[in-house]
Amino acid sequence: METGPVRQEPASWYINVLADAVADGDLRGAMNMAEAALAAGVPAHTIAEQGILQGLDSLGTRFSCGESYLPELMVGAKAAMTVLELLRPHLEGVPAARLGTVVLGTVQGDLHDIGKNLVAMLLRGAGFQVVDLGVNVSGERFVAAMEERRAHLVGLSALLTTTMQTMPAIIRAIRQSPAGRAARIAVGGAPLDAAFAARVGADGFAKDAAEAVALFRSLHDQAESAADLP
Amino acid sequence: MTSRERVRRALERRGPDRVPLDLGGTANSSISALAYEALKAHLGLAAPARLLTKQGQVADVDDAVRDRFGIDTQPLRIRPPERWHDVPLPDDAYEDEWGVVWQRPPGMNSYFLLRSPFEADATPEAVGRHRWPDPADPGRLRGLAEEARRLAAETSRAIVFDCTASFWGEAEWLRGFAGFYVDLLTNKPFVHALVDKILEIKLAMAAAALDAVRGFVDVIVAGDDLGTQQAPMISPATYREFVRPRHRVLFDLLRARGGGAKILYHCDGAIDPFIPDLIACGIDALNPVQVSAAGMGDTARLKREYGKDLCFWGGVDTARVLPFGTPAEVRDEVRRRIEDLGPGGGYVLGAVHNIQAEVPPENVCALFDSALAGR
Repeated sequence: METGPVRQEPASWYINVLADAVADGDLRGAMNMAEAALAAGVPAHTIAEQGILQGLDSLGTRFSCGESYLPELMVGAKAAMTVLELLRPHLEGVPAARLGTVVLGTVQGDLHDIGKNLVAMLLRGAGFQVVDLGVNVSGERFVAAMEERRAHLVGLSALLTTTMQTMPAIIRAIRQSPAGRAARIAVGGAPLDAAFAARVGADGFAKDAAEAVALFRSLHDQAESAADLP
Repeated sequence: MTSRERVRRALERRGPDRVPLDLGGTANSSISALAYEALKAHLGLAAPARLLTKQGQVADVDDAVRDRFGIDTQPLRIRPPERWHDVPLPDDAYEDEWGVVWQRPPGMNSYFLLRSPFEADATPEAVGRHRWPDPADPGRLRGLAEEARRLAAETSRAIVFDCTASFWGEAEWLRGFAGFYVDLLTNKPFVHALVDKILEIKLAMAAAALDAVRGFVDVIVAGDDLGTQQAPMISPATYREFVRPRHRVLFDLLRARGGGAKILYHCDGAIDPFIPDLIACGIDALNPVQVSAAGMGDTARLKREYGKDLCFWGGVDTARVLPFGTPAEVRDEVRRRIEDLGPGGGYVLGAVHNIQAEVPPENVCALFDSALAGR
């Protein structure tokens, strides 16, 4: 950032510096760069979709391969969310900037929410709208929230081997509801794996919060291109 | 060979006559109160339900069950304070002596964190103002020395003493998880002040309690919460900045005051990268060896790499095999862990963490019966 008048830099420069700041959890640096990018005329949705997402992507990669840990992930997600708030007034009416709405919850009988909260944080940072239903969430509550918010993405979390067994019934309840027919459902939590996800009829499994963001982005794309979406 | 000798020899990595077994020796190696009732019914044993911990709702295992399975451990815990009583709150919630509020929602087995006292004000000044537990509360030692002496005389099992020698978990509860993990990078003076205060209290409690039980106990439990399913929660650098120096202080005190008792360190999750540091800081045994977490499943490798310096305690999978496997699969799992971890001593067998509510009694029997038979 000491390279002279910032206005002369190309858009990609702002994007890259912003992405690095988000990945490093450098909130002040990320805010300064987002403001400078706006002042230099870089469109807000480009800043969000390229700068922030690129930063979260590299943070997620670092997390998944063991170079970053929970604190780094959370601070980076917080930086991403704060920059996104700054951009929010400039993003009104730009449909491309909306990745859709994810309804998230820890399933009925389970009150563990650290992992689920982390997923919510990262999804918000990545530009999703998140409806966080909290813990101990029944199938009916998932369905009601999906109807109310017209959401087509759902995330179910469980930490216990006891409570992961409530997932099939919740997934059935969602699939059988009008709002849930076109839904894309992801599951996660410590005792789960991809085989369990497939067995209970989920559309995807993420082993950690970073992977969950990539998963919801791909589920969102699937849902967008599916003809059955209302 | 008595159970006490067997556990001692395993901890010293001198081959015992068989792999010793633990059920209910610690608050993290027992059985859910619900599964325990089913187990007692299955075994035809009648005994009133008693809890080892209120928050986790795990059973205090009866002697009849210990005898039935050949369990080699016996828990002993520091007493509750008498100048503090948990404050009952509406909706099955309560405030504990740290000021943390726990709640048990309808239909649930255990209590979950509801409110943290440093949620809104995470400053060193707030740490100074907080109402902290009194480590010198006389209730903590009331009858403790007598109980330790009685157990040492009446049972030949190894006595596993828990004086709540931990500080990281308390810090998470006092601040709230999300805030705490962000603070580790952005609010370090607060974290240091908070963890120092907790450690100061825990050291005072441990010193007084060990003075009361020294000579009667074989194992002292310590523990933290540093692992996720995939990796440690914090980087090695964060561990070395915040945790390791305090581990050293805590374990040094347990060793100095423990009268030869061994240090059993409990930490769930994928903590393989921290094991060399933990050994260097002075732990003797590692529990629960969460084999379903990344880097922890290849128990033969763990034994190869750390078995010279470390005893393993736990190891039988609770994520899949115990709740969902058949008794034959449970026996296979037991055989594998004994083959991997048992040679030359250095292994106390038990479930990874508390046996969960849905584990069928047949699988609990398969676990301990096959372990007792050594296969």
